[in-house]
Amino acid sequence: MERLPRGRHGLSPEFVAQNQRDRLLAALAEILYERGYEETTVAMVGKRAGVSKSDFYKRYESKDACFLAAYDDVVERIRETVRVACAGKGEWAARALDALEALLVFIVDDPARARLVLVEGLRAGKGVYDRYQEALQSFVPYLRDSAPAPAGGPRPPEATDEAVVGGIASLLARRMLAGEIEPVGEFLPEIGEFTLTPYLGAAEARRIISER
Amino acid sequence: MPPRAQSASARAKQFGGPGRHELPREFVAIHKRRRIMDAIAELTAEQGYEATKIGDIVRHAGVARKTLYDNFEGKEEVFLAAFDASVEEVMGRVEKACAGFDGEWEGRIEAGLGAFLAYVAEEPARARMCMVEAMSATPAATRRYDDAVQGFVELTGRSVPPSDQLPETIEETLVGGVAWIVHQKIRRHEADTAMELLAELAEFMLAPYRGVAEAEQGRVHA
Repeated sequence: MERLPRGRHGLSPEFVAQNQRDRLLAALAEILYERGYEETTVAMVGKRAGVSKSDFYKRYESKDACFLAAYDDVVERIRETVRVACAGKGEWAARALDALEALLVFIVDDPARARLVLVEGLRAGKGVYDRYQEALQSFVPYLRDSAPAPAGGPRPPEATDEAVVGGIASLLARRMLAGEIEPVGEFLPEIGEFTLTPYLGAAEARRIISER
Repeated sequence: MPPRAQSASARAKQFGGPGRHELPREFVAIHKRRRIMDAIAELTAEQGYEATKIGDIVRHAGVARKTLYDNFEGKEEVFLAAFDASVEEVMGRVEKACAGFDGEWEGRIEAGLGAFLAYVAEEPARARMCMVEAMSATPAATRRYDDAVQGFVELTGRSVPPSDQLPETIEETLVGGVAWIVHQKIRRHEADTAMELLAELAEFMLAPYRGVAEAEQGRVHA
């Protein structure tokens, strides 16, 4: 992210503050990705962002506060990505696959931000866990409220929707923890079939995936 | 690996040589180790890993601080040892339950899942230590947790009918999904009723494999 010109530039204080916040969040995601939560320091983040230590503390009270802000920011980006994909026209299954694809593209394009949410979120302590759970829970309605029931069968049991979301998050987090980002880009048929099967039956799920 | 040759002193102890009291002392030592590991499970379940101090552990276990340091390097090692012991125990129970269903994969998965949930209900503190605290305790604990998940992924893969029709990652997503549901139940302090999840989670795990089995049956009949 571009640094602002030094000295007198006529930019409003609000603009400068927002720009610094954006730069700090991006820098935090990068440093976390490289070093993990424990080793990341305010000094490293400030240096990477080109923001002085005193300005860092004007924007965020602590490393934790900056982390939570970054967390919320990334979750919002992912939610928006999925929301846009799901808002498209067409059958539920096609939209679900669009959303999963958008999620995978997000991860491959920006592994640092993705890891922040999927891996560090579970590790950084109590305040973050609630956000992680809430973020996962926010994807459940896409399944619970919009997915059809299998042809001629009842809706899958209640726990299924959450288990599908949790299963995908777990798979992605494990690959990110292992540093295997590239293969994640190829996961659409895998997690697509996993997601569609409880609602459409295995045969129909496979047919839709193979025709895509 | 061949069994290690018994040392002379060990033999002497065994046959009541000069170390007549060694056997009970060894028993006491193992017992104390166990108490220390139980203590960290109970304390981290109550107050979290970070807040749990060595002083709390020794007080709770009723052992001297020196005893803890004779057995472990520090808090992290106690935690990892307790984690390993619990995972070994639950894994053993699940494998045993699965083994009772030779050639019948649906029963096997359900029995394995049942044994897992029964452990969670019986040992809520250890379940919390393994499935909640371990994720965030330390980087080494996160890796240990991931290894344990991998163990269950592989066990699931061995327990279901072989098929090249399902996604390669199917067991990872299924195990991850089950873990997430159980994790949340433990977080809500409802571990004691974990068995209530059995029917739904069994259905969730079996559905993809049933789909393949039915498709294959259909092909045979056609």
